[in-house]
Amino acid sequence: MEIHRYEKLWFGAALVLIVGFIATVVYGAAGVGISMVDDDGGTIDPNNVTDHPKFEQTGLHEAEGDDADYEASVIARRFIFQGADPLEVPENSVITFYITSPDVVHGFKIVDTNANTMVIPGQVTEMTVEFDEPGEYGILCSEFCGAGHENMAGQLTVVPEEEWGGLGGDS
Amino acid sequence: MSQASEPADPEVEMEREIEHDEFDPIGTLVLIAIYFLIISALWIFMYFIEFLGRPTPMVV
Amino acid sequence: MAVFAERYPSDAKVVRMALGSSFVALFLGGLMGLIQALHRTGYLRIIDDSTYYTVLTLHGVALVLLFTIFFLVGFFHWAVVDSLDRTSESTRFTQLWYALMSLGAAMSSVTILGGFVGEVDVSADVLYTFYTPLEAHPLFYAGLAMFLVGTWLAGVDWFRSWYNWKQSHGGERTPLRTFMVLTTMLMWYLATFGVAAAVLVFILPWTLGLVDTVNPLLTRTLFWFFGHPVVYFWLMPVYMLWYVILPKLAGGRLFSDPLARIVFVLFLILSVPTGIHHQYLDPGIAEGFKFLATSNTMFLLLPSLLTAFTVVASLEHGARQRGGTGYVGWLRALPWRKPAFTGMALAGLMFAAAGFSGMVNAGLNLNYLVHNTLWVPGHFHLTVGTAVALSFMASTYWFLPKITGREIFSRRLGLAQVLTWFFGMVLMSNAMHRAGVGGVPRRTADPTYEGVEFTSVLGNINELRLQIALGGVILSLSLVLFFTHLLLSWFDIGTSRQATADSIPPALSGPENAPKVLENLQLWSGIAIVLVLLTYVLPIAAIVSGNGWFGSVEHPAGMVEPIWLLALDIGRQHLAVMV
Ligand code: HEM
Ligand SMILES: [Cu+2]
Ligand SMILES: [Cu+2]
Repeated sequence: MEIHRYEKLWFGAALVLIVGFIATVVYGAAGVGISMVDDDGGTIDPNNVTDHPKFEQTGLHEAEGDDADYEASVIARRFIFQGADPLEVPENSVITFYITSPDVVHGFKIVDTNANTMVIPGQVTEMTVEFDEPGEYGILCSEFCGAGHENMAGQLTVVPEEEWGGLGGDS
Repeated sequence: MSQASEPADPEVEMEREIEHDEFDPIGTLVLIAIYFLIISALWIFMYFIEFLGRPTPMVV
Repeated sequence: MAVFAERYPSDAKVVRMALGSSFVALFLGGLMGLIQALHRTGYLRIIDDSTYYTVLTLHGVALVLLFTIFFLVGFFHWAVVDSLDRTSESTRFTQLWYALMSLGAAMSSVTILGGFVGEVDVSADVLYTFYTPLEAHPLFYAGLAMFLVGTWLAGVDWFRSWYNWKQSHGGERTPLRTFMVLTTMLMWYLATFGVAAAVLVFILPWTLGLVDTVNPLLTRTLFWFFGHPVVYFWLMPVYMLWYVILPKLAGGRLFSDPLARIVFVLFLILSVPTGIHHQYLDPGIAEGFKFLATSNTMFLLLPSLLTAFTVVASLEHGARQRGGTGYVGWLRALPWRKPAFTGMALAGLMFAAAGFSGMVNAGLNLNYLVHNTLWVPGHFHLTVGTAVALSFMASTYWFLPKITGREIFSRRLGLAQVLTWFFGMVLMSNAMHRAGVGGVPRRTADPTYEGVEFTSVLGNINELRLQIALGGVILSLSLVLFFTHLLLSWFDIGTSRQATADSIPPALSGPENAPKVLENLQLWSGIAIVLVLLTYVLPIAAIVSGNGWFGSVEHPAGMVEPIWLLALDIGRQHLAVMV
């Protein structure tokens, strides 16, 4: 089989591109420390989500380990985010989100950030994000979940350190 | 192959016949090299500027 | 030699019918696209927000399942009959698969349309991905299943022709077009296994009330098992057009026949074990499986990148034969006045751009940035919405005379049509990509939220909104031109000139240069199956051990109930009202 030398050249360049892309995402994972949403959150009975220890109470609470500063439990259901409407967290804090759904598939996307995930009945989404910039961030449902989906939104407020009144405190 | 010498499409006016071995697709190489540069640059922009510039889910 | 329609009248008829069905779907879907583009940008709202999802379901199903696949079966049927030079083994059988596909398509479409009529309880507002536990009327799934079975039988038809052809052509290489059809269909059998399992084993029994619950992550995973390779199913006929027809229209010859075969074999092997790249942000799937999908997907770029070279080189060959010179000056020597050529070439250009946004989608962690934003429809309006749709429309200017026996109505009109599609899509898709990076979500009737401001890298969000709407209008205009031209050409209204036959010139490097092992379809299918098992057995086992095969999610409140429970339900409601 005859292959033109330019074609061989392009074949090589294409391989360089492919390997380069894979190397970039590996760098993102290993070098920068970006973690993919995965099976760490475990499963849950979608018909009794509040029986699950993470969802007895929604909203922000003290983290269990020392990996994060706080945990935020959110129940995404047609057409609200229970526990994130609004959710207030202090500046420079590391938050682990636990999100689940008792009805259909939803999305959970914090605008202007890369915090973006699917929420699937029967599964718990676990996702850890650090917020350094005080400000208001919109939270949207990013997956069609029924008529009314376009209204499904929440709010994340990152409060400046000096204004933070602690858990349950008013800021 | 012998059929090759009759023009396949009666409407195509052919000035000359070029066979595989006498054809160097240099124009293709030029276009595809430009493409290579564009996507490499865009990739770097999307990954390192747009993406890594925002709060991102992290390993803890 | 006479044109195809005269040589194989019964086959030409089936091809015409398949193309007819395809274009009806294009018309319906296109109309929905216009409604969406104007509705979600806020310029014109003729429907309620809640009806938007009925529109969007119809848009998705009509365009990416019906329009594309009906065109494909028509085109493939022509490709097999013409390249083997033998009529199908049984006209009845050919009509059977076409009838099954049509009936299935009609069942699903009618169910979706039911969503527009509030009074009837038949609807399918589940979008074309039908993620459970969203629930459509069972007729929707049954229709899809029937449509699928039709495509399977079409494949059987083509394999039969090939098998019988081989009996009298021992030792010959399979003609390129038939080779492409067969490898594509093998990929399709493998791919549709996932969606068939999802529908027949899990979803249909659940909507019929035979089982009580579903496992949403499982049906979703099975959907994407099919959902990625289906994009190659749309694309393979386009690759055939680009490899076989485009060089010829350019006055050249395919650069390398063996390379074209290798590319199709690579698609057969690599298309399926990548589906998890649509689930990068799903819980319940371990990171390792996601990484595997990333590297498979990135390697799947290879056949497309190689195609780019071979196809452009074939065009350059044509241009130089026509007297073109220079590094890029030869581009001017291409036949830009032919709508079939120009449309397909522009479609190829847009596909190159789509390649980039696809690489971003595929980039594992980078997917956080764009997942479920408008970037994604921006991407696939370049791939299926232009590379495929524009190539299909443009090729029709060349293809229609083959199957009707008459010339097309007007090249100028054709040229105007393909150019408007190109410009409309440049506007709409580009704006969608940019809005997506700014965070604007897809699949929503109204992407405005109190207290949320989307800020985009390039251009402000209001301008992008305008460009999406404007692009949508220009695209619809293009469709109007397309259908006007189609009707004038098809029904003998505007044209009665006899079509002249032409032939497809042999490749510069012919099939005799291809390694023999390429013909070993069993080997390639075997490798494909092994790769699929390697990528899917473990994640599916994990999903099933977590939630069980049938999960525990019931019918969410407010969903369509199983039909025979409906009567009971209405009775209950009446009681409740009285109490
Ligand atoms: C007149 C031309 C078209 C217009 C104006 C148009 C417009 C749109 C718009 C605005 C959306 C986004 C809706 C949303 O996410 O809320 C969309 C989605 C979509 N379009 Fe198109 N489109 C056109 C043609 C096509 C074609 C030709 C195809 C494929 C062959 C296509 C395939 C799709 C698909 C698959 C979706 C996603 C559906 C979903 O999310 O469920 N479109 N279209
Ligand atoms: Cu939603
Ligand atoms: Cu895919």
